[in-house]
Amino acid sequence: MPENDGYTILDRPWGLRMIGVTQMAFGIFGLLATIGLLFATLTGAFATVGYLYSLVLFGGVAVPCLFIGNYVDDLRRWAVIAQIIYSAIAVGLSGYLLYVNGLSYNWTIPLFDFSIELAIGNVAAFIAITQTLIMFYLLIRWQAVAPAPGTIVERDKSRARLIEAGLMPSPLEPALLAPDGTTTLTPDEEQKIMDIRKVITEEGMAILCSNCNGATSLTKVEDNNTVPCDYCGVILGVGSVFVPCLNHEEYLAATTCNVCGEHFCRQCLTVQEPPVDEKWQGSAVYLCKKCFEGRYRPAVTTASLVIPIDQLFSIAGGRFSKVGQMYSSFLSAYANGMKHLWRIPLQLLKSVGKSGGGGNDNAAGVLVMIVIIIIAIPILAGILMILGAIIIIPILFYAGLIAVTVEAAKIISGTDFESVDNARVKSIHAHRKPKVKESKLRPSVRVWDDEFRQASLEHQRIKLRHDEERRQREERRRKQQQAASFWRTEND
Amino acid sequence: MTETVQERILCPVCGGPIKIDQQDKVNRCEYCASPVLGPSQSRNCVTHPDILAKEVCHVCGDLVCEDCIQKRVGEYGGKLLTIVNCDKPTCIAESDWAKPLNEEYQKLANMDWADRIDNLILRITGLGAIIMMVFELIFFIGVMFYQFLTPWSIPDISIGALGPLIMIPVAILLLNILGNLMSAILLQSALQVYVHERQMGAGITLLVILIIEVAHLLFRGLFFGLLTFPNPIFLPLMLGAFLFGTILVFVGSLMAIYIGNKKRVQLKETQEKLHLSIKP
Ligand SMILES: [Zn+2]
Ligand SMILES: [Zn+2]
Ligand SMILES: [Zn+2]
Ligand SMILES: [Zn+2]
Ligand SMILES: [Zn+2]
Ligand SMILES: [Zn+2]
Repeated sequence: MPENDGYTILDRPWGLRMIGVTQMAFGIFGLLATIGLLFATLTGAFATVGYLYSLVLFGGVAVPCLFIGNYVDDLRRWAVIAQIIYSAIAVGLSGYLLYVNGLSYNWTIPLFDFSIELAIGNVAAFIAITQTLIMFYLLIRWQAVAPAPGTIVERDKSRARLIEAGLMPSPLEPALLAPDGTTTLTPDEEQKIMDIRKVITEEGMAILCSNCNGATSLTKVEDNNTVPCDYCGVILGVGSVFVPCLNHEEYLAATTCNVCGEHFCRQCLTVQEPPVDEKWQGSAVYLCKKCFEGRYRPAVTTASLVIPIDQLFSIAGGRFSKVGQMYSSFLSAYANGMKHLWRIPLQLLKSVGKSGGGGNDNAAGVLVMIVIIIIAIPILAGILMILGAIIIIPILFYAGLIAVTVEAAKIISGTDFESVDNARVKSIHAHRKPKVKESKLRPSVRVWDDEFRQASLEHQRIKLRHDEERRQREERRRKQQQAASFWRTEND
Repeated sequence: MTETVQERILCPVCGGPIKIDQQDKVNRCEYCASPVLGPSQSRNCVTHPDILAKEVCHVCGDLVCEDCIQKRVGEYGGKLLTIVNCDKPTCIAESDWAKPLNEEYQKLANMDWADRIDNLILRITGLGAIIMMVFELIFFIGVMFYQFLTPWSIPDISIGALGPLIMIPVAILLLNILGNLMSAILLQSALQVYVHERQMGAGITLLVILIIEVAHLLFRGLFFGLLTFPNPIFLPLMLGAFLFGTILVFVGSLMAIYIGNKKRVQLKETQEKLHLSIKP
């Protein structure tokens, strides 16, 4: 587990996930029971009090279980507290029921001409045990399951993985280095330096320290082309050429923007993962703001780093389409399962037909009734689910549009350019590896995690080899053709 | 202290370690590969010792002045990056895979002048499109609300055997989803005005969609009989918001077309001046 201010969804304990799934299952059962009860009341099997029961079931089991279950497993403090309270109430109520009526307490539920015996005592015992376990688990693992208030938890899995790796490419630990350039300072020493360091000098052009961001005058450059930082004392190399930053003439340019080639200081550059290419030597690529926003046009082609706004919708809508997909695959799995289920009543019917012929009328009637129930219940459930889809799909559509609007508002409200200089200060203050703010405007800020990079390099190598082989094959064929035509003309 | 610790030299860009291999040539950061001056390296051009160097050759690591460099655009894994080489034949040969940068073209085709106005256009069209999107979302909910939860209802519609009971919800749903989709396309185009190449096209698209969207809204208004609406605030408020969004998008799209066309003319003139028949 990382330090307290950096949870990601990957830190979630396995038990918490199980609790989420269990609660969702309770919720689904509650929902089904509500629908069943409502249906039974509608058909007159229950008195009007059935409506109240179904309302209680819906409001007391289905909604809270589905709602809490949905949130409790992604490290939300309020959801964990809500779950503990809910579990306590559930344990209390089911315990009371057991105390009053005992374990062998049964309910007789009327269903058409039949009745079903429901072992309510067992159900109550089951609920009491699971909810007690859930409550104890949450209380015992409180530290791990309920992040302190104000903690930021990254819940997107792919981004969480990136955060675990450190988003902004940087060789520096998120702490100030001592003057020797290797060991890190204590938080106290660090604070002292960060308090005194200045980012401007009165003595002409300055060089910005890559460790503490302090500005040291260029007059202090030593004969061996190094300069000790005025504040933190590390020895800085001097960038290759004495050119000021294009935007700040008071700062020596640190390096060039890799895209447009202009010289910039640390305040004007951001850093990204390097291109996937064997020709590229460094572990990073630097971009100025203009190039970061994709507005530089190199004169050899028309498009370079064009903003992939096209992907906005797919990204913003992705989460919702995923839910829709899950729902539709659930529906198709349901239909698939039904195909097998229907075989049983059909076979039953067949056997009734065979043994029939005026025999036991009563038994055949019961069988037909069972068959109808077996067929009718899944069909009814299926219809309910399709009705659900009719409601769910517009809601998903609507939610997707809201997400798109929010992303668009973020885009027009400002750039997400994060300079190396800013990232360094933030990482020292937060004691975390610098993280890139990512907007949907530029989802490619860091797409090349190491695995992907390796795979791409491998892919390129294979492609080169294939190209080479094809070239050789063609060469051979041309030679053979030449030879063949040579012999033909010779023969003619 | 009897022994002096060998202090590590840090890269001025990333803070990575720098190993001094060469005394009079640039050494590169072990992490980010940025060039750093060697301990006894001069800061001037290697061929013009009295001129301060401006660039470093990516092949040999020599410092060179502006007269001695060639800028190229090289493709690295699909991204176009600028590299600089000096005019030594070996360095030119080594850089041959990258296309030379047409500096004259670069200068004439520079569009920095449009940075501020482009930012403004993005904000105007973006804000307008967001307002219209929010309008559509609220309009959807509003019509649903008044149809199903208040006595007010849109006029009866029936097609063939399908009576008002089915046709009214279907009509509301379909027409409003269409409106929502249209505003989503509008939003999509409104954000494209920030890209030089697409600015003019996005501006024209915006105008066209805006006209369709307004027409679609008027049609819906008449079709739903919104003039008989019970709430006296809802309708004027919605119309006001819609009008505001429409004006923003309209103004923004005109600006985008104007600026986009200016860029187009600039590129065309550049190509004529440099006698380029095709886009470089
Ligand atoms: Zn420093
Ligand atoms: Zn740049
Ligand atoms: Zn700068
Ligand atoms: Zn470096
Ligand atoms: Zn060279
Ligand atoms: Zn020179």
